[in-house]
Amino acid sequence: MASETALRGILLCKSYAHYPVLTQVSLSVYAGECYALFGANGAGKTTLMKILSTLLSPTSGHVEILGCHGANQKAEARASLFLLGHGTQLYDDLTALENLQFALGLRGLSPSMSEMKSALDRVGIGPFARYRSRDLSAGMKRRLAIAKVWLARPKVLLMDEPYAALDVAGIEMTHDLIRDARRREAAVLFTSHDVDRAARVADRAGTLQNGRLEETPSPAPRSKTDARVN
Amino acid sequence: MTDLSRLINRLRRWERGIGIAAFVFLSAGLYLGLVTSPPDYYQGEVVRIMYIHVPFAKSALLAYTILFAGSLWYLWKRDPVVDNLCHATAGIGLFFTSVALVTGSIWAKPTWNTWWTWDPKLTAFAVLLLIQVGYLMLRSFVDAPDREARYAAAVAIVGFADLPIVYLAAEWWRTLHQPLSISVRGLSLSREIFIPLIVMSIGTSLLLAYLLAVRTQMLYLERLLIAKRGRMLAQSTTTSPLPPPPSG
Amino acid sequence: MRELINVIYWITWKDLRCELRNRENLAAMLFFALNILLVFSFSFAMDDLTAILPGLIWTAFGFTSIVGLGRSFVPEVQNDCVEYYQILPVHKGAIYLGKLVGNLVFMTLVGLALVPLLVLFFNIDLGGATWILLLIFLAGMAGLAILGTLFSALTSRIRAREVMFPLLLLPLSVPVFIGAVEATRGALAGDPLPLYRHWIDLLLIFDGIFVIVAFWISELILDD
Repeated sequence: MASETALRGILLCKSYAHYPVLTQVSLSVYAGECYALFGANGAGKTTLMKILSTLLSPTSGHVEILGCHGANQKAEARASLFLLGHGTQLYDDLTALENLQFALGLRGLSPSMSEMKSALDRVGIGPFARYRSRDLSAGMKRRLAIAKVWLARPKVLLMDEPYAALDVAGIEMTHDLIRDARRREAAVLFTSHDVDRAARVADRAGTLQNGRLEETPSPAPRSKTDARVN
Repeated sequence: MTDLSRLINRLRRWERGIGIAAFVFLSAGLYLGLVTSPPDYYQGEVVRIMYIHVPFAKSALLAYTILFAGSLWYLWKRDPVVDNLCHATAGIGLFFTSVALVTGSIWAKPTWNTWWTWDPKLTAFAVLLLIQVGYLMLRSFVDAPDREARYAAAVAIVGFADLPIVYLAAEWWRTLHQPLSISVRGLSLSREIFIPLIVMSIGTSLLLAYLLAVRTQMLYLERLLIAKRGRMLAQSTTTSPLPPPPSG
Repeated sequence: MRELINVIYWITWKDLRCELRNRENLAAMLFFALNILLVFSFSFAMDDLTAILPGLIWTAFGFTSIVGLGRSFVPEVQNDCVEYYQILPVHKGAIYLGKLVGNLVFMTLVGLALVPLLVLFFNIDLGGATWILLLIFLAGMAGLAILGTLFSALTSRIRAREVMFPLLLLPLSVPVFIGAVEATRGALAGDPLPLYRHWIDLLLIFDGIFVIVAFWISELILDD
């Protein structure tokens, strides 16, 4: 496994008008590695994800993505990023294919029709390629998002609760995605409540509690109840 | 603590002095303007409203300039105290703009027998009032505090760029449609008129500074209180179990 | 620069495709305009409307713009698409410009559809001033679209969007209304161009200044 640090958060603090959410959080994810982030609801996981993806600026501390400073070299840092968030990031009136075309076109990529079709087949929604997004179910929409990542091939992949709204087959596709990312020396960071599932693909893990991050050497957190408190 | 926070602390010490000075100047100005200055040859006693209208209008524009500069400063330094200053300025500026508009209207009625006239200055002040109202309403509708500060700053900057154009357009419009104009240009600026105006202008500027100092601190403390309450709520939910229900 | 144009292209592509497929917004704008014109034709039932006609036209168009422009960012916010835009390594002004182009196209379509309705309801005689009127229309409509797209981006992520959008847009578009109404008045009256030309200049300068200001400010609004 390469030891180059793909994603690094250094002493990140975030407070909203004197109210602290994150305190001195530091973490590193190496190229080819998958890191699982646990924590109760409201612990600040989404805030940390947003800061790591440069969507939110920390009150202090900074983020480094492939060596680029998150605040000073924003454009270069963002070029290698992909964030799979809670929302579907789809347009109801565009077809699945058109949504892919749009999302990748914005990133400056122009995959061919056959590449897009095979990505859709891979996530099992090939027959729905020309359906408008409003006609797809929630699970299909999540799979479409996975197809987006397949085609985008980002060097740093961040996923916020990737297991939500997915059935067993969909979860297996997510794991496929993570394994492929590790194979091509990309870094993956995702948040989850599901410790057992996460343990299957994660190399390292950490738990966010009271605004601080506690790393655990093995993928499972020290106490399973920590991550399961909803 | 940034430079401006230290400035806030300094203002807290000077606050009383500024307040007293404002009171002195305003009292003197009002006495000079309303009592001892001569009535106008054409407008009679009514012209005395000018001693309130003009200084308040000038201070309203000063407040808006402070809002603009403060918004730029906030965007540069991202200091929450500067944001409190901007918020305070908008509210106080609204007060000054309202006084300017009301006194302008009171001036217009006996002079031209109409409550409102599309004089370019009044038009620009009416738009300014609406911009300030929109700014304050916007702040109350945004949930996240840092987003609120940024959006408010954006509106302040766009509004400041727009106001001169509003004045220009209204000025051109006036030459076409000839509405009645409120202006101090017609009056000869003799010493008896000039001095009360200056005194009142200094008084309103000091009043602006005083109100700003007080209100900025209020908003700052309000934020601290909200933060503390949030902290207490967060701590109580994560640690102790629910207390037993009250008996009896 | 290339990334900027790329983003503008794709966002315009997406907006045109979605709207032409859905036509929700266009239909809403058009029927709203129709309703307003209907109400105006009853409320102002006078023999000679020439004095207030430019004001009527621009009031109708202004309200229609509020309906259409206010909603222009809603699809982006609905599905968290804004987050995707935020991560793009490009100046967020590109997103603003992309939406602006889409809005300009839609508002032009609506405006052109209104022209026969205006001639029908108010018996307007365009005379030889058709091209000038087109220019005035485009310049004024651009002014509304430039500010409207910016405030749409701003208000779509806050509460009470429907209230705040017109509250912010209308005071700041006062110069657009003044300029457009006076220029339209001059053109319809058949005045020689130099007489009302400065109003058109005002509109064009307004458009130029605010497209730059809005481009810069949209980075503030869209980037957290």
